[in-house]
Amino acid sequence: MTSGNIIETVDLRYRYAGNDRDSLSEVSVRIRKGVKTVILGANGAGKSTLFYHFNGVFEPAGGRILFDGEPFSYRRRALRTLRSRVSVVLQNPDDQIFGQTVEEDVAYGPSNLGLPASEVSARVDRALRLVGLDDLRDRNTMKLSYGQRKRLALAGALAMDPEVLVMDEPTAGLDPQMALELMELAEQLHHSGTTVVISTHDVDLAYAWADEIHVLRRGHLIYSGPSEDFYSDPVQVYMTGVVQPSMFLINKSLCDMRGVEEAPYPRTETQLVSKMASGPKGRFVIIPVSDRLTPPMVDHAVEMLGGTEIRLGLYGYGVRALLPESGVPVDYVFDGFESCMSECLMGRDVILLCDEDCVDLIEAKIARLEDFGTKVQKMVQVRG
Amino acid sequence: MAMGLSSGSGASEHIQMDALAYSSRMLNWAPLGKLLLVIVVLIANVMTDSVVTAFAVLAIGLVLMAYSTNMRIPFMLAVAIGEAILILIVACGIISINGDPSEPCIWRADFLWLDLYMTADSFNQAWLVMIRAVAGITVMMAFATSTPIPHLAQALRQIRIPDEICEIVVLIYRYAFLLLERMDTMWSAANSRLGFTGFKRSMRTIASIAVGIFTSSMNLADKAQVSLDCRGYRGYFPIWNRPRKAGVGWVAAAAAVFVLLFVLGTYTEGVIDFAGLAFGV
Amino acid sequence: MDFKYILEARDVTYVYGRKDGGNASLKNVSIGIREGVKTVILGANGAGKSTLFYHFNGVFKPTAGELFYRGIPMSYQKEHLYQLREDVAVVVQNPDEQIFSSTVEEDVAFGPMNLNLHPDIVEGRIRDSLFKVGMEDYRYRPTTQLSYGQKKRVAIAGALAMEPKVLILDEPTAGLDPQMSQEVMELVDQMCLAGTTVIISTHDVDLAYAWAEEIHVMRHGHLVYSGVPEDFFNDRDSVALAGLTLPHTFSVNRSLEGIRGLPEAPYPKTNSQLLAKLSPPEAVFGTLCIRALPESEDVDREDEGLRVGIYGFRTRRAFKDRGLRADIYFNAVEGCCLSAMQGRDTVLYCDPELVDVVRRRVADLSRFGRAPEVVP
Repeated sequence: MTSGNIIETVDLRYRYAGNDRDSLSEVSVRIRKGVKTVILGANGAGKSTLFYHFNGVFEPAGGRILFDGEPFSYRRRALRTLRSRVSVVLQNPDDQIFGQTVEEDVAYGPSNLGLPASEVSARVDRALRLVGLDDLRDRNTMKLSYGQRKRLALAGALAMDPEVLVMDEPTAGLDPQMALELMELAEQLHHSGTTVVISTHDVDLAYAWADEIHVLRRGHLIYSGPSEDFYSDPVQVYMTGVVQPSMFLINKSLCDMRGVEEAPYPRTETQLVSKMASGPKGRFVIIPVSDRLTPPMVDHAVEMLGGTEIRLGLYGYGVRALLPESGVPVDYVFDGFESCMSECLMGRDVILLCDEDCVDLIEAKIARLEDFGTKVQKMVQVRG
Repeated sequence: MAMGLSSGSGASEHIQMDALAYSSRMLNWAPLGKLLLVIVVLIANVMTDSVVTAFAVLAIGLVLMAYSTNMRIPFMLAVAIGEAILILIVACGIISINGDPSEPCIWRADFLWLDLYMTADSFNQAWLVMIRAVAGITVMMAFATSTPIPHLAQALRQIRIPDEICEIVVLIYRYAFLLLERMDTMWSAANSRLGFTGFKRSMRTIASIAVGIFTSSMNLADKAQVSLDCRGYRGYFPIWNRPRKAGVGWVAAAAAVFVLLFVLGTYTEGVIDFAGLAFGV
Repeated sequence: MDFKYILEARDVTYVYGRKDGGNASLKNVSIGIREGVKTVILGANGAGKSTLFYHFNGVFKPTAGELFYRGIPMSYQKEHLYQLREDVAVVVQNPDEQIFSSTVEEDVAFGPMNLNLHPDIVEGRIRDSLFKVGMEDYRYRPTTQLSYGQKKRVAIAGALAMEPKVLILDEPTAGLDPQMSQEVMELVDQMCLAGTTVIISTHDVDLAYAWAEEIHVMRHGHLVYSGVPEDFFNDRDSVALAGLTLPHTFSVNRSLEGIRGLPEAPYPKTNSQLLAKLSPPEAVFGTLCIRALPESEDVDREDEGLRVGIYGFRTRRAFKDRGLRADIYFNAVEGCCLSAMQGRDTVLYCDPELVDVVRRRVADLSRFGRAPEVVP
């Protein structure tokens, strides 16, 4: 079955002019549709080179690339379609900002696609809202901070409305909060049907996020599959230039000490904590938010829970955009789910405000904790 | 790529040239000596009208290049020389058909409104020019592929070019790499966002890239100033490892080569008659 | 001479551009760096960390306020400035901004040559600093052909060659892959032991928490906290306001002790400390043997079947030269403790001057719970 692979390379080979070794050699990688994918590797392993093949900017010296089962064509029209379906976000935002103002830059891609003006402006609006830059749309791009430029670069890619979003080191250079916000957005995009591919050497991030990892070492693909099998082999990990993720390491050490099986593998802090200790848990209330957020929406839930020590978190770009003017006092603006859940595990009642279309995503995250021995009482507040 | 705009290949060629120079077996020869040798060979090349000298110079160039690159002349270089030869063939073709009409012709044709007139002289002249030029290119390439820019700056310093200029050369060299790499990346990024579809868009994209490179060079300059201060910069660049100086030996060798080539040239003028070989005139 | 702080800023304000529209990037910052204390300046992008650093070596002159080096106010006269920059070396984040020369040795020599040192001394320093960063094989390479990680190491070597009393590193691990980050931090640790005061700026909270003895937190040009790391991270609102998050060892410890109803202190800062705290009494630990690397060519390999770790740049080099195998190359003190706690007998080879430090770090684990047994 190849239909599950949105991008597939077969024996891909590429060499930069003048280099004496292949930057990619015999790389056969399958990016599966709707699977959170991480390309892992040290600096210079060939991650970026591979990405430029995904959208046809580089033409392979050998081997084939298939998009949705069809071999790539390097004819002009075909390339144009391909690049609108596969968007690449580079590590350094300055490399891909081409407009004078924020708006102009985001419109660069869609207008190059030759779309009608109304469609372009609709896409620009949506992309800016997604990354939370709609207040700054007229700002000169040179006057933005690094984090804002990074988000602008992402907006430029999102405006292409891609089926596959490829991000090279998305969190590099970002503050911790902004990095969490970006990963949350990536998760949300993935949830809404975009296939998100991330390259990184941040193993903690890769471990927490990826369903599947592909590991590159000096231009060779040395592993494809779930993270745990790769990290279980310390020699491979060492040779690749990375280290074991903290969560993996702590779990492994604790399991060795206790003489129990390592599986199930916790990938997040709350999963680890669930596995290691249990006590009375709090209640977890999910409030779906669509287009408005007001204090009464929260008051109702607070009343129902009846406690005083209630923690409030949020999840999703929609709620985040509504927050500043809503007057709702949120405790956890960043990493809302993890923070709320860790409070919940310590016995506090929590409320999570989340985008309407993410309720099932949150429910799935809560359900996942059952594998680690934690059953949390959850409630979804009905609208109205 | 669309419109025949290839990814900014300037950077990679530039980097390649540099890599070649640093791995050259002639790297440790005194840069000024090499420069002197190349200059006298080039002068001798044009001072005599003998094809034999031109061939001799070509041979010197090829030997130097073969030694410098350890007999592995890279593909890129071969292509560059090949390109140059092609251009020369066209140019020499033009020289050969612009003969003096008062001399007997060996070949003649009318093309549109042009009267093409080839004489034995013009034909020989064209060959001479071409071989000279190819020989010159080869010698200069041998120099370029064995002398990194910083060494060249050193050579300049030795012939009393002011230090400031030499330092600027080195700094420009250093930063050119960064900016060229940057340009390559921006080029690919623009391509990813369909920036090269159609002429107008391509022009706009190129303008944006130029602005981007300019801005980043300004930023780089700002930051470099601070970094210089951090490292105790006192207004001049100290040199730790000075490349070898060109001694009397170099001057003697260069003079000898010059005399040899010159003498060779004077005695062999007109020995090879291409027109005779080709047309039996 | 007596001084409380090796570097001190009092009420320092700095305005970029000095025009009316210029915005202050430092606002009334008063900060003291104590000699020999591992210090981290923590803060989000644009909080003013780098600007503060450039005040410490006199590259920026404050718009208002005063700076002191060893208790003496900075004078900003040329000769004094050169002396100051000899003592206080800054390694900027992006090595490309700091490498000026075309070959590695030329670049490392740049600093010492600026100090007008004798060529023999310069030669010694080039060799020494390239050895420390593990780049001696690259001495004659052109800088344009180095990878990012190699450039970073050359930049650090360039600072080490000044033999500074204070070494300031701006985001030393940014852009490096994990192994190289750990190698850089190991080198930094060794610099600290050799008596250099090291200051690091970062927004990597895990790194800051694990490494720092004292942190200074900046936000929008203000200094908002100075003190031990755990007190800062206990104040969740301040952490959030500063654009930061909790280090994972901190928050795992907090959650687990919260559930078990136990006090959070002592605060584990590394995975091994966390695990020492969480280890069940029935766990069987392996032994840990700490050895100084012998000078002789033949390391006696009675350690067959043991896990082997290496720590220190000399040991690293020796293992490479002699073609010896090791299992734990990076962050090895931590790695070897974990290995022993996982029940495997482990041996750690390290540079001779590090033996005591390693012993102390292992013994320190018993503050948290059980430490693996150290055998001679």
